Amino acid sequence: MNYHFDWSVLWTGQSGQWLLQGVVTTLEISVLAWLLALGLGTLSGALRTVPFAPLRALATCYVEFFRNVPLLVWMFFWYFALPPFLPQSLQDWLFNHGAEFWAGTVALGVYHGARFSEVIRAGIQAIPKTQFEAAISTGLSTGQAYRLIILPIALRLIIPPATNESLNLLKNSSVALTIGVAELTFQTRQIETYTARAFEALTAGTLIYLALCLTIAFVMARVERRFAIPGMIARVGAAEH
Amino acid sequence: MLQFVNDHIVCRPVICKSLCDRIFIPVVEFQHVNKWFGTLHVLKEIDLQIESGEVVVICGPSGSGKSTLIRCINRLEAVQSGEIIVAGKQLSDPSLDLRALRAEIGFVFQQFNLYPHLSVMENITLGPIKVRRVSREEGEKTAMQLLERVGIPDKAGAFPASLSGGQQQRVAIARALAMQPKIMLFDEPTSALDPEMINEVLEVMTDLARDGMTMVVVTHEMGFARRVAHRVVFMDEGQIIEEGKPESFFAEPKSPRAKQFLSKILFH
Repeated sequence: MNYHFDWSVLWTGQSGQWLLQGVVTTLEISVLAWLLALGLGTLSGALRTVPFAPLRALATCYVEFFRNVPLLVWMFFWYFALPPFLPQSLQDWLFNHGAEFWAGTVALGVYHGARFSEVIRAGIQAIPKTQFEAAISTGLSTGQAYRLIILPIALRLIIPPATNESLNLLKNSSVALTIGVAELTFQTRQIETYTARAFEALTAGTLIYLALCLTIAFVMARVERRFAIPGMIARVGAAEH
Repeated sequence: MLQFVNDHIVCRPVICKSLCDRIFIPVVEFQHVNKWFGTLHVLKEIDLQIESGEVVVICGPSGSGKSTLIRCINRLEAVQSGEIIVAGKQLSDPSLDLRALRAEIGFVFQQFNLYPHLSVMENITLGPIKVRRVSREEGEKTAMQLLERVGIPDKAGAFPASLSGGQQQRVAIARALAMQPKIMLFDEPTSALDPEMINEVLEVMTDLARDGMTMVVVTHEMGFARRVAHRVVFMDEGQIIEEGKPESFFAEPKSPRAKQFLSKILFH
């Protein structure tokens, strides 16, 4: 093997700028999709456990529909298949304002929302039923019981699997390159194409994804400690209180 | 029943209104109630009246339907036939405001079920603030009085997990009382407690009974039943087998099943 490493390709020419733009776009699409996923997931995860059957059925349909189709197909669907059904003015606006970005965000958000939903449902079902009964016995409505008691407990319980889902979401944002979103993987490949330096470009991409994910895992671990219920869950290495 | 209530409204002097409320009006009434879990017939033709201010202990072997019966009163369980009337409201009425009704009925669970992520103070004030719309300040004032009453005013800022079982159950009682309920229901309130903590909870319940609270208590604490109850209801296999004053029930139970039950739990 006779390969001469040339790391300078990462900061000469436009490479540095491309990488930076890629990171910003990856973060933008991931944060927006994450908010969408968390909102949809919390709502549908909660609805899957409520006493009223039609709402449970609705939430089940959402989960099974969106998690059982490949993310790539959803990306294509939201970008290529759906826009023609929108009003012309909205189509014009979208294609002038990065339609691929919004299609990618929605695809990522609804797909991961369906997966978040199951995580949140598991968290809710880990809470004894009598906890809910205690809440409604004081006259709270089902909605209040979920908002004030059930979800605050469930969301604390599910931080470890939710961290997993969040990391997957960030990594899956790379699929958006297939509909032309200029995120990190897209930019990495662009550098590779311009410099013919695949190893350096992909190494840079790899390390940046790794750094982003480790940061998220670190932040989520802090969140978990910050919101831990005093005395409720024993964890190794947790400080005494 | 309505007729009965109206008669009293007509005949009694205005000044003894609250006294009459306590003495004459049935606050809970079961009429031919049947309930099934699948094919299991858990409540069979239950007829029961509980008067205002009365303390009724429900006992019986496990699986006899006593917990199900008490859970029907605030409709944590729905029944398939018969009628339950609570504070003048028919539970089968589709227009029933269930939340308003539940706010009037305190329920104390075997497993305490405090909200683990909230402090003792927040556990007690949540219902009054969110349901009764009292101010936080007023809610906290009432909560402190209730914590004094159950003997743990120093635990207002503590979280449930740092309390003993007996303390948690006393907070649960305070939480129910904060809603100023008309009736208090207790579903085996001491069954999850270590023996030395049972008394501190029973004492709080005894005080409550002395203050005239209407109470329905599912329990195996026969000492409590003997000392505090006005009436003991004995259930087996979904039926009320017999009921009577505690003196007579414990001294000379009429049914063989009650005799057998009492011999098992009183003399082991």
